[in-house]
Amino acid sequence: MNNRRKPAGRSGLSFPSVDVSRRGFLRGSAALGGVSFLAACGGGDGDTKSSAAKIDTSKVDSEVAQGLQDIFGPGGEEGGSGVTLTAGMLLAMTGQGSFFGKVMSQGAQLAAAQIKSADGITYDVKIGDHKSGDVPTALTVTRQLVTQDKIKILQTSYGAPSEAIVPLIGQNKLLSFNGGGSSPGQVAKPFLWQTRMIFGDDPCPGGLAWIAKEYPDAKKLAIVGTQENGVAGAKEIGPAVWAQLTGGTVVANEQHDVGATDFSSIVARIKSSSPDAILTFSFGDDVGYLVKQLREANVTVPIMGIEFTEQAAKVAGASYDTYNFATDFYDPKNPNPWNQIFVDGHNDMFGSDPEYYGANYYEQVFFVWELVRRVLADGGDPTDTTALQSALEANPEFKSLYGGDASAPGTVQFNPEDHTISKPMGVFKVTNGQPSKIADIVKIASGDDPASALV
Amino acid sequence: MDLELLAQLTVSGLVVGSTYALLGVSFGVIYATTRIFHLAHAVAYAGAAYAAVWSADTLGLPFWPALVVGLVAAAVLGVAIEVLFYRPMRRRNATLLTIFLVSLGISVAFPNLLQLAFGPENQSLPRPDNPTYGLGSVTISRHDVATLLICWVLIAAVATYIARTRFGRSVTAMRTNPAMAEAVGIDGKKVYLFVFLIGSLLAGVAGLLFTAKGVATPTMGLQPTLTGFIAAFLGGIGSQWGAALGGLALGLISSWSALYLQVDYGPVVVFGAMFLVLLIRPQGLLGKAAA
Repeated sequence: MNNRRKPAGRSGLSFPSVDVSRRGFLRGSAALGGVSFLAACGGGDGDTKSSAAKIDTSKVDSEVAQGLQDIFGPGGEEGGSGVTLTAGMLLAMTGQGSFFGKVMSQGAQLAAAQIKSADGITYDVKIGDHKSGDVPTALTVTRQLVTQDKIKILQTSYGAPSEAIVPLIGQNKLLSFNGGGSSPGQVAKPFLWQTRMIFGDDPCPGGLAWIAKEYPDAKKLAIVGTQENGVAGAKEIGPAVWAQLTGGTVVANEQHDVGATDFSSIVARIKSSSPDAILTFSFGDDVGYLVKQLREANVTVPIMGIEFTEQAAKVAGASYDTYNFATDFYDPKNPNPWNQIFVDGHNDMFGSDPEYYGANYYEQVFFVWELVRRVLADGGDPTDTTALQSALEANPEFKSLYGGDASAPGTVQFNPEDHTISKPMGVFKVTNGQPSKIADIVKIASGDDPASALV
Repeated sequence: MDLELLAQLTVSGLVVGSTYALLGVSFGVIYATTRIFHLAHAVAYAGAAYAAVWSADTLGLPFWPALVVGLVAAAVLGVAIEVLFYRPMRRRNATLLTIFLVSLGISVAFPNLLQLAFGPENQSLPRPDNPTYGLGSVTISRHDVATLLICWVLIAAVATYIARTRFGRSVTAMRTNPAMAEAVGIDGKKVYLFVFLIGSLLAGVAGLLFTAKGVATPTMGLQPTLTGFIAAFLGGIGSQWGAALGGLALGLISSWSALYLQVDYGPVVVFGAMFLVLLIRPQGLLGKAAA
C-alpha cells in the first residue's frame, strides 16, 4: 500500500484520497489533542476532579457557624471535627444539562464549607461528569470515583445513570443520595436513598386533583412525557387517576426525546385531540419549549407540569405565566432559619439565590453530617457507611430546608422500606416567571381516593 | 384521515423543513467545494447566537442590531476556522481525515469555551412580539412566517449567485475539478474563503432564528450541523436546490409521520426514508451521478 502523498494543487487545494499517512495522522491527532484540551477545560471530560480548592471558607462567617450549631448541635468532637469523608458527585457537568451539574455541585460545596466552618466534618467533594445522562460514562466515572478517589458517599443525579450504577452502589456500599432524577428503578435499592419525591409519580395525583377541582368540566386529558422520567406517571398513574377523578379519558399520550426543542408535531396532535387539560412530565428546558409552542398554537387549556426551573421559564417567556406545576418545590423565601442561612450563604458565595436542585444537594451533605453525629454519639465508626445507613434507618427523620417556619427548620422523613422521602408538596402557579404555591398536596398510596391528595 | 391535523402538520413541516433546508445549503456549499466534513460548522451556528445575546446584554443593542452582530460573528468564526486551521493543514498536505479530526475537536471545544465564558445557563435575546395567525384551525406564528421567508430568499439568493455569476461559476469549477480550475486562473483560496463565508452566514442565520424563539445554549450547534449534513446528502452534494429539497423533505417527512405514529418515532421514519432514497439514488435527490 502506498502511503506517500500525491502532489497537491498550486494552493494545496486538491485533496488526495483519504489514505492516511502516519505523519498526517499524528499531525491531526496533535491538533485534535490541542482542541480537546480546550474541551476539557469546559467542565470535565469524564474524569473526576476534586472541588476542594474551589471552596472558599473565608466567605462563611462565624455568624453562620453559630447559626448552624444552634440548629444541628455543637461542632468539635461531637460534631465530627477531624472526621473526613470523601464524597463523589455524579453530575451533568457538560452537555445539555450542565446547568444542573453546576447548581448541584455548588449546593454541596457550600454545605461542605459551612459544615467545616461550624467545626464539623471535612466533606471532600470529588466531581464526576456523566455528560448529561450518558450511561456508559456514568459507569466509568463511578468506577473511577470508587477505585481512585476512594469515595464513601455518592451524590448522584439523573434517572438513567443512577439506575445503571445501582449495582456499583450496592457492591461498594456507597451511601448514596439522589435529589435530581428519582425514578421507580432506584426505589428500595441497597445504600441508595432518594431525596426528592419520585419524579412524576408522587405529585401526579395531587396535580390532577387540583385540575379536576378548578376545572370541573374537564374530561379529556392529554399527556406529554419522555421515556426517561415519569414514565409510570404518564402511562399508568395519570390515566388511572384522571378516570377516577373525572370519569374522563386520556385523548392523547405523546412522548418526545429528552432535549427536544421542536414540539410542532406534538402540538398539532394535541390540538387535533381537543383536550380539556394537559399533563406533562417533560423536564428541563423541554417543558419551556412545550408550553411556549402550545400557547403560540392557541392551545389555551390548563397545563399541569411536574417541574419548574428558571431556565425553562427563560425559554417559555411570558407564556409560562399560564403554567401550573405540582412538585416538592423549594422556596428560597421560606423563612425557616436554616433556609435563610443557606440562601444568604449561596448569595455570598455564588451571587445568586439557590434553586431546587442546589437545595437538594446542599441538604444531602447535612444529612450525612447528621448521620456522622448520630454514629459518633453511639460510639460507632463514622466512616463506616453501613453504620451510617443503620443510623438513618433507626431514625429516618431529618431537619430540612423544606417546610418549617421562622422559628424552626422543617423536617423530612425517609421511608426505610423503599428508601424514598416524604417532603411537603404543592401545586404552584407562575406569575411574572416566579412560582408561588396555591395548594398543598400529599403523596397517596396506591388505591387511595386521588381526590384526597389535594389537601 | 384527519385533514385538519394534516394541514397543521404540513405547515409545521414546511417551517421546520425550511430551517433544515437552510442548514443543508450552508453545510452543502462548504462540503461540496472543499470536501471538508465541516463539523465545526456548529461554531458559526452557536457563535452567532451568543454574539447576538452578548451584544444585547452587554452593549445594550436592540434586537435587530444584535442580530447583525451575530451574523458578523458567524462569518468571522467560519472564515477564521478556514484560515487558522484548515488552510495551514492543507498547506502541509494533511488528509481530509486529519482535517475532519480537527474539525471534530473544534466542534467539541467551542461549546466548552462558551460554557467557560458565559456559564451553562440559557441565554436569551429580548424577543419581539410573536403573534399567531389563524387560517381555520391551522395556526402559524409571525416567527414561523419570517422563518419561511428568510430561509427561501437566502437559499434562492445563494443558488442564483452560484449559478449565474462569474465568481459563482468559479465555485462550481473548484467543486468539479480544483486542479483544472486553478490551472485556468481561478483563485482557489478566494473560492474557499467565499464558501466558508457564505456557509457560515447561513448557519448564523439559522442559529439566530432559533435563538429568537428559544434560547442559546453552549451545545446548540451540533445537532443542526448534523441535520444540515443529512439534508445535503439526501438532496445531493453540489446542488444548492438539492440540499434545500433534502432539508424540506426531512421536515415534511418528520412532521407527516406524526399522522400515524408517535412523534418520537419521527427520526426512525426520517432515517428510513433517507436510507431508501440513497439506496435508489446514491447521488441524492438532485445530485448528478458520478460519470
